[in-house]
Amino acid sequence: MDRRTFLRAASSLVVVGLAGAAPAQEPDVYRIGAILSMSGATPHYGTVMSRGALVAVDEINAAGGIDGRKLELVIEDHKSGSTQAAVAGMNRLINVVKTPAVLSSFSGPTVAIAPISKEKQVFVLNGGGVSLKMIGVSPYMFHNRSLATDLAAAAVRRAKDRGFKRIAQIAGRSEFGDSVIAASQEVAKKLGMEVVATEQFAADATNIDTQVAKLRAAKPDVVLNWPTTPQAGLVVKRVREIGMEQPIISMEWTNEDTKLAGVASSNGVEVATDYFAPAADNPMGQRFYDEYKKRYGEEPDFYAANYYEAVQVIATLIRRTKAKGGDFWTGARLTEALWEDPAFDSVYGGKMTFQKNGVALKRVAILKVDEGALKLERFLPAQAD
Amino acid sequence: MDLILQLLANGVSNGSQYALLGIGFGLIFGTTGIVHFAYGPVLAASAYVMWWLAASLGLPFPVALVLGVAFAGIAGVVAYLVLYEPLLARGSPSFVVLVASLGLFILVSNMMAVLFGTDAKTLSDISYGIYVLGDVVITGVQLVQIAVFVIIAVGLAIFLRTSAWGNAIRAVTDNVAMARIIGIDTRKVAIVVFALGSMISAIGAANILVRDGASTHIGFFAVFYAFISVVVGGVGSVWGAAIGGLLLGLVESAGMWKLPTEWQSTIAFMVLFVVMLWRPTGLLRGN
Repeated sequence: MDRRTFLRAASSLVVVGLAGAAPAQEPDVYRIGAILSMSGATPHYGTVMSRGALVAVDEINAAGGIDGRKLELVIEDHKSGSTQAAVAGMNRLINVVKTPAVLSSFSGPTVAIAPISKEKQVFVLNGGGVSLKMIGVSPYMFHNRSLATDLAAAAVRRAKDRGFKRIAQIAGRSEFGDSVIAASQEVAKKLGMEVVATEQFAADATNIDTQVAKLRAAKPDVVLNWPTTPQAGLVVKRVREIGMEQPIISMEWTNEDTKLAGVASSNGVEVATDYFAPAADNPMGQRFYDEYKKRYGEEPDFYAANYYEAVQVIATLIRRTKAKGGDFWTGARLTEALWEDPAFDSVYGGKMTFQKNGVALKRVAILKVDEGALKLERFLPAQAD
Repeated sequence: MDLILQLLANGVSNGSQYALLGIGFGLIFGTTGIVHFAYGPVLAASAYVMWWLAASLGLPFPVALVLGVAFAGIAGVVAYLVLYEPLLARGSPSFVVLVASLGLFILVSNMMAVLFGTDAKTLSDISYGIYVLGDVVITGVQLVQIAVFVIIAVGLAIFLRTSAWGNAIRAVTDNVAMARIIGIDTRKVAIVVFALGSMISAIGAANILVRDGASTHIGFFAVFYAFISVVVGGVGSVWGAAIGGLLLGLVESAGMWKLPTEWQSTIAFMVLFVVMLWRPTGLLRGN
């Protein structure tokens, strides 16, 4: 190789190298979308989820953002589960806000936006919905909340641990209720337990007398109470009114449920759920807890914690993709970065790891209602343990 | 056997509530021809008013109940005077009035959510008895539902049969054009039925408030069951609405004896379709 050829080859390599390492257009602001329940029947969820996410955004920005560029949360409202509103919100986030990363909530809306996520390669992280129908619908969709399978399995395993054999279950007539019933039946079968009654009622119904009468007639050892707030509380009220004294295990319990059921009827109800509590050996969780409580005057629940955690996950992914260069602010690159190392710091302490189905593996807590307050009974190991 | 007895008891209790709501709705619908879907939100709003008076202002529940009933009566009349009457005066077709009533339904429901929030409103100070009769358990609220329905149904029937206003209402229900010819003030009759029907809905609202707590969507179920009760029983017939409601409650409850409960919300429509095919004017041959 003569000198001229060598220089030409060397300069070509430099050009190619520079081109490869050339940073893509960096956004002025990293806008993260969020499709939450800000109005309708259950705006409580959207309120706490958005608060959790905003605490994370502000914390990251206060620490200098992503190499000086700030994060911004853009919230769309799915009106307590309207799939139409969720799809409209997703389209606005993609076409107007032009974000490749979206936080979603509720099972129905999350399933509804999955085809768009898949087609447009938008990274979606759900921290609230628990339906199995969200699994495998988009390669860019992930979940940092335990899904119905995990929670139902935990509740059934808890019933088994307590020596119960005959299970009765009640749920709303919805995609959520159907998936929870299917999941619990599968686990009960595996554990050799008998499902003696499965009752369902119309979504938002307040009259569940017939369902509760049939629960009683089945003479179960334990009642698995699958509805969310406020119907979880209503079921407990009716079950106790009709004279059933069997233990009840729920999947969700809030102050509103205690208010509806009454303190006396609520006592002893167990809840299999994600659970957030600050701890001295968990600086991330403690930091979040302190800031949330200071800002909003109340303790954060696990929904708030999940969305705080979700924003932290996305920020970590942006840092990872940016370090590698190229067109880094895309859903495909964020997804790729997640699979390269699926373990992330968890606000619950330690690490959480995304499984092949896109769901982060977390332990499930069994809480017990005691005079209106939820008290930690024990943790059940993660299902894959 | 214990299950069917319990389901029958529940059916009579729930049916009484549906029948009560049906009577109020049917009184308005049968007399004026207006499908007053905002009957539901008026019911829900009166429940919220009762809750606010009792829980926030600390008024005794009976006082809150009376004021809540009065509120519902006024709200019903305002709905008629402000919305329906102007539309009818302009000769709007019935479907326009129907759409307006749906709009009012959504407007009032959303306003309640904005004003009061969407969490369930409960009265923790009110307790009621639970009675065990053999294998059947029945609560004090269920007994009150049955008693209230009987008292109001009988009272309304007597009112319609014996009072001048009752005769006027029956005349308008039967033939509004003829009623006008013989000098009945149909506008006043409409105002009276909107007031009476809405006040009856508030009694049902009190049952719901004490039993399940109030939330913004209770109005939907109330008007849904009231409407089916009226159509099944026969439009324009108080007894028809009562029988329709009782039948609906019994079928919905006892019908689940051998059927999975996931069918429960469907069975109301099955009853509706069967009756409409068999007797298109309702069980008691209404208008």
